[in-house]
Amino acid sequence: MSFKRRLLMLLVFTLAVALTGVNGVAQGQAVKNPDTLIIQSFGDPESLDPSWAYDTASSGTFLWNVYETLIFFVGGRTDLYEPMLATGVPSVANGGISADGKTYTFKIRPGVKFHDGNVMTPEDVRYSLMRFMLVDRDGGPSWILLAAILGFDTQSTRDDNGKLLPDIWDRVNQAIQVKGDTVVITLKDPYAPFLNIMASWSMVVSKKFVVKNGGWDGAKTIVAKYNNPEKPDAQELFDKGAGTGPFKLDSWDRGTGNITLSRFTDYWRAPAKLSRIVIQKVEEFGPRRLALQNGDADIIDVSRADQPAVTGISGVRIVDDLAQLVNSPSLFMNLNISAEGNPDVGSGKLDGNGVPPNFFSDIHVRRAFAYLFDRQAFIDQALRGKGRLANGPIPYGMLGYNPRGKWYEVSKDKAVAEFKEAWGGQVWNNGFKFSVLYNSGNVARQTGSQMLKEATESLNPKFKIDTRGVTWSSYLGLMNQKKLPMFFIGWAADYADPDNFTVPFMHSTGTYPGRQSYKNPEADRLIEQAGKETDAKKREALYFRVQEIAYQDVPTIYIVYPTAFVAMRAWVKGWYHNPIFFQPWNYAYRLSKGQ
Amino acid sequence: MATYIARRLLLLPLVAFGVTLLIFALLQFLTPAERAALFVTDPRQLSSIPAIIRKYGLDQPIHVQYWVWLKQLLHGDLGWSQTARMPTSQALATFFPATLELTFYMFIPIIIIGVWLGTRAAVHKDQIVDHFSRIFAISLRGLPSFVWGLIVLMVFYGGLNWFPPGRLSLEADLFVKSPEFHRFTRIMTVDALLNGQPWIFVDALRHIAGPAMTLVLVEMALLVRVTRSSMLEVLRQDYVRTARAKGLAEPVVINRHARKNALIPVVTLSSLLFVGLLGGVVLAETIFNYPGIGKWGAEAAVQLDIPGVTGFGMFIALITVFGNLAADILYATIDPRIRLQ
Repeated sequence: MSFKRRLLMLLVFTLAVALTGVNGVAQGQAVKNPDTLIIQSFGDPESLDPSWAYDTASSGTFLWNVYETLIFFVGGRTDLYEPMLATGVPSVANGGISADGKTYTFKIRPGVKFHDGNVMTPEDVRYSLMRFMLVDRDGGPSWILLAAILGFDTQSTRDDNGKLLPDIWDRVNQAIQVKGDTVVITLKDPYAPFLNIMASWSMVVSKKFVVKNGGWDGAKTIVAKYNNPEKPDAQELFDKGAGTGPFKLDSWDRGTGNITLSRFTDYWRAPAKLSRIVIQKVEEFGPRRLALQNGDADIIDVSRADQPAVTGISGVRIVDDLAQLVNSPSLFMNLNISAEGNPDVGSGKLDGNGVPPNFFSDIHVRRAFAYLFDRQAFIDQALRGKGRLANGPIPYGMLGYNPRGKWYEVSKDKAVAEFKEAWGGQVWNNGFKFSVLYNSGNVARQTGSQMLKEATESLNPKFKIDTRGVTWSSYLGLMNQKKLPMFFIGWAADYADPDNFTVPFMHSTGTYPGRQSYKNPEADRLIEQAGKETDAKKREALYFRVQEIAYQDVPTIYIVYPTAFVAMRAWVKGWYHNPIFFQPWNYAYRLSKGQ
Repeated sequence: MATYIARRLLLLPLVAFGVTLLIFALLQFLTPAERAALFVTDPRQLSSIPAIIRKYGLDQPIHVQYWVWLKQLLHGDLGWSQTARMPTSQALATFFPATLELTFYMFIPIIIIGVWLGTRAAVHKDQIVDHFSRIFAISLRGLPSFVWGLIVLMVFYGGLNWFPPGRLSLEADLFVKSPEFHRFTRIMTVDALLNGQPWIFVDALRHIAGPAMTLVLVEMALLVRVTRSSMLEVLRQDYVRTARAKGLAEPVVINRHARKNALIPVVTLSSLLFVGLLGGVVLAETIFNYPGIGKWGAEAAVQLDIPGVTGFGMFIALITVFGNLAADILYATIDPRIRLQ
C-alpha cells in the first residue's frame, strides 16, 4: 500500500471513529465466542506440510499447534528446553549427548496419540525427521536439518544440476536410527545449535497417516519421486494434518484463506482450554482493526506504522517492546556491483556521474557511510522509536551478542574525513552518483533511503544519491543479480542461535555476503569453528571476534534490533511471549478467554 | 441472429489465445529472477532463486514456456496458482461464484434506482430532483471507491455492526463447512435456500451488503447521468410531442414512448458495467475482505503468479465476449430497427 493511501486511510479512520463515537466493546461486557480464539492475519500459509512450510505465515499461524517437537522452549526462554515428545532433554550429564558432542539420544514418550488415532512410535519420529530432510523442496526448510546433521557442506539433497545425490538416503538413514524406545541421531560434526534446532524443527507426523494418503513410505527406491515436489498440493499433508499437538486441523478453506483448528481431546497432556482456533486471512488493516474493536477478532496483525490506530480502544490490550530474534533492516554495501546495463551506478566511473563497480571495496567509503547514517533518527522516524541500536549480526540478548561491542557513532566530520581519504581523494574531489532502491510499500526502507540521501548530499554538492521504489520481485531480482549498490534488508531467525545470524550476514557462503561480494577468510573460519564449539564461554569469545570483524570491515551497516508488539482483546488469558514466535499466537495451548 | 451468435462464439478461442500470448509476452520483460520472486516470500529463501528458476523453467525462451503451458491446457490443466494456493481452474471456480453473487445484488439496485432517478431528473429538469441527482452523482463519483468503502465499513460495521466484512460470520461459516450443508452452486444465498437455511441466507446477504452498497453508490451515479441526458434528448423528439399532443397520460408518454428509446445507451453502459463488475471489483472486495475473483486476480498480478494471471486473463476475455454478445442481443430486442447480421 502506498504511503499516501495509508495516510488517507488513517485519516478516514480517525474521522469516522470521531463521527460514530465508537469505542468498541466495553470492559466487563460479555466475552464474544468464549471458547473460540479468532485471529486475523494478513497472510495465509503456502502449505500446511511441515516439510514444505518455510514462510512466516505457515510457521507462524499453524505448525506448533498441530505438530509437536521432541523438546520445546520453556516459557519465554530460547535457551532452555522442556521435554515434549521426548521424555527428557539430552545433555552430556544425563548421557543423552555423547562426550564427543556428536551423538544425541532421545527417549520417545510412550502412549502419545496422533490425531488420526494411531499411537506414536520411535519409528514415527525417525520417519518424520527423514521425511523433513529428504523432501527438500527448493526454497524450503530442509537445509536446516540437513546441514545440522550431515554437516555444513550438505545444504541440499541435490547437486548443482538439481540431480538427487545418490547416497543421500543412506547418509540420512545412517544418521538417524531407532534403538529400542529411543531415537539416536549422529551428527557428522559437533554442532552447538542442534538442540535449539530440534526444539523448533523436529515436528513429528504420523507415518501411517502419510502412507495411507499416498505419501512416501520411507523406502530408498522411491525417494526421488517425493524429493522436491513441484507443487505443494502434491504432498499428503498440504491441507491435512496428523500431528500430536493440542489442536487438530479441521479445515483450510483456501477460498477465504481461513484455517480452523479444534481441540484434540486425546491429547497426551491436559487438553487445551480453547475448543477452537480460527485463523482468518484479512489483507487490509481497516477491517482487521474494526474486528478487534467489535470483538469479532481476539488478536490481529498490526504493523508498527498502524499502531496508533489500535491504541486506546477500550477492551483491547497492547503489549509492547517484545524481544524478537530479528536483525532488520540492515544497510548492505555491494563491493562488486554488476554494472552491465545497470542504471543505478550512473556512468560506472568515478567522474561525478556514477560509481565504479568496486566503489564500496574501499574501506573508507564504507566507514564514511557508517559514520553518516543516523541510526537512532531512523529508529525514531521509521520504527516509532521501538528498537535497540545494533552493533553486529547477533541480536541483543542472544549468546554472542557483545554489549560492549563497538560501533560507529554519528559524525559528519568523521564521514567527511573518510570520504576525503577514499579512492585517493577522488571521491571527495569528483563526487559520485548512484541509486539506493527499496521495495515499494516498505515505508521503513523508504524512510531509510531518504535519510541516507539527505545526509550524503548535505556533505558535498558533488555527492548525489537517487532513491527509487521497485516491486518486491524486482528488488529480489536485482539483489540476486548483484545490481543494487546499497540495499536495506533483514533477517529473522530460523532457530535461536548466533550461528543463524553470523552465517547469513558474515560467512562468504551466506545469504548476503554472496550478494555483496564480501569474503573474509578469518570470519569464515571463526564462524565455522563457533558452530562446532559446544562450550558456551568459548563460543561467545569466538562470536565477539566475529563482531569485531563486522565493525572493522563494515560491509554492512547494522542498524537496529527491532521489538514487536501485540494487539489483542483483554479477555485473552494465558498469553505469553517467546522471541522465537514469529507472531504472538504461534502457540495457543495455554490460551483461554474470560473476564 | 443465430449465425451472428455463432460467429461471435467462434471468435472466442482466438481472443483467448491472443490474451494469453500477450500476458506471456509482457511477462518476458521481467528477468527470470524477478519472476522467481513469486516463490520467495522471505529473504531466508534468497539462496534458492537459481534452483527455482531451473525448477520452473523460468529461463527458458518464451515460446518454450508458452508451449509447456499450452500442452498443460490441452490436458485441461491451467497450472498451479501460487497466490490462490490451488490449481488455477479451481481458483476460478471458487472465486467467481462469489463475485457473480455480489454483482447480481449490486446490479439490480444500480439499474432500478439509476434509471428511475435518471428519468426523474430529466423529466423535472432544473428542478429539485435534478439538482439533487446531480450533486449526488458528482459527489459520489468524486471520491475514490476505497474511501467510500472505508466509510461504509466504518459506519455499518464499526458503528452499527450491521454489515460485517468477509463472506460469512463464524457460526454460519462453521455450519456451511459441516457435512449437513451441501454446496450446490457455490452461490451462498442460493445454496442457503436450497438447504432450507434462511439464517445463512440472511447472514450471506449481510456480508454482501457492505461492498454492494459501496459500489451501488459509486457506479449508479454514472448511470443516472447517462439516463438523464439520453432521456432529455428523446423528450425533445417529435414523436414524444405527438404522443403528448394526442393527449396521452404523462406517465405513459414517459415510460412507454420516451424511456424505451432512451434506454439504448443505458444498455450499452450497463453491459459494460456488468462485465466490469464480474471481472472483479478489486477495491471493494479487498476492503470488505470478500473472497471474490477481483481480489485474487489483483494479487496474482502483483505477485507475478503467471498461471494465475493467465487463467484470470483468459476468463475475463471470455466474460467480455459473452457480455458484449448479450448486449448486442438486448439491443435487437429493445429496438427492432437494429438487426444483427
